[in-house]
Amino acid sequence: MRSFRIVVAGHGTLPAALLATAELICGEIPDLAAVGLEPTETPDHYAESLRAAIGRDHRRVLVLCDLLGGTPFNVASAIARRSPRVVCIAGVNLPMLVEASLATTPLDDELIEQLLDVGRAGIAETERHRARRVS
Amino acid sequence: MSLRLVRIDDRLIHGQVVAGWLRALGAERIVIVDDASARDEFLREVLTLAAPQGVPVEVAGVADGAARLIALAGTPESVMVLARNPRTVLALRVAGVPIEVVDLGGMGSGPGRRRLHKTISVSPDELRELRELEQLGTRVEIQIVADDRPIPFGSVDPRN
Repeated sequence: MRSFRIVVAGHGTLPAALLATAELICGEIPDLAAVGLEPTETPDHYAESLRAAIGRDHRRVLVLCDLLGGTPFNVASAIARRSPRVVCIAGVNLPMLVEASLATTPLDDELIEQLLDVGRAGIAETERHRARRVS
Repeated sequence: MSLRLVRIDDRLIHGQVVAGWLRALGAERIVIVDDASARDEFLREVLTLAAPQGVPVEVAGVADGAARLIALAGTPESVMVLARNPRTVLALRVAGVPIEVVDLGGMGSGPGRRRLHKTISVSPDELRELRELEQLGTRVEIQIVADDRPIPFGSVDPRN
């Protein structure tokens, strides 16, 4: 059982779609929320929604954002800089989200590094991937 | 002329900027001119975190920013300038920064603000400042993402 909460933060319907797709792979995922930024939404309004999803208890929260430098990331990283229980990662992909969802260890440095590795390892081009696999 | 784009956007760095404009312009550096951000170490840090690796971000107030931009305008480096409002850009222009075009990229709506186009709304003061910029020879255009065709401010200015 995972000890921390996960929030997917991103533009438009991407967070909800990513959440639904992760559940297609893993089955229902507890303690996972999606917060999408609407095209006309202000950063302040988005910050409110994100804070509500992060929760006001003392649990640790992993915020997975779609784009480094995008408003969801900017808002989440500002929250994370002020609140040590919140960890913010940009560049979420499906492998990273699945790995995080299934994590059983605490949200510590080791897990954060592992999530970054899984996300990067999930990016490949077929020919280059094949060359590495068969050599 | 290395100030590739001077953009007014109340969100400063965000998705349209990092995923669209930086690439479209080949910008090598971002200079944010905003007195409030320059004074606040936390805001400065969050803005610096928002830029992709390899693109340095400078955050300056209007006075320091003007001097810095005048210096950068004489170098071959491709610079993107971000400001929150027309007042800042007008101050830069008056201080002698060579600004050929200013792009209105994001100006939120709110009480007392008039919508000019999609996500571009202005207060009466901002409207005056934009007109003043044009009188000083700076072209004012609306272009939210790099793919949009620029819309001349004159064609949406309510007095025209």
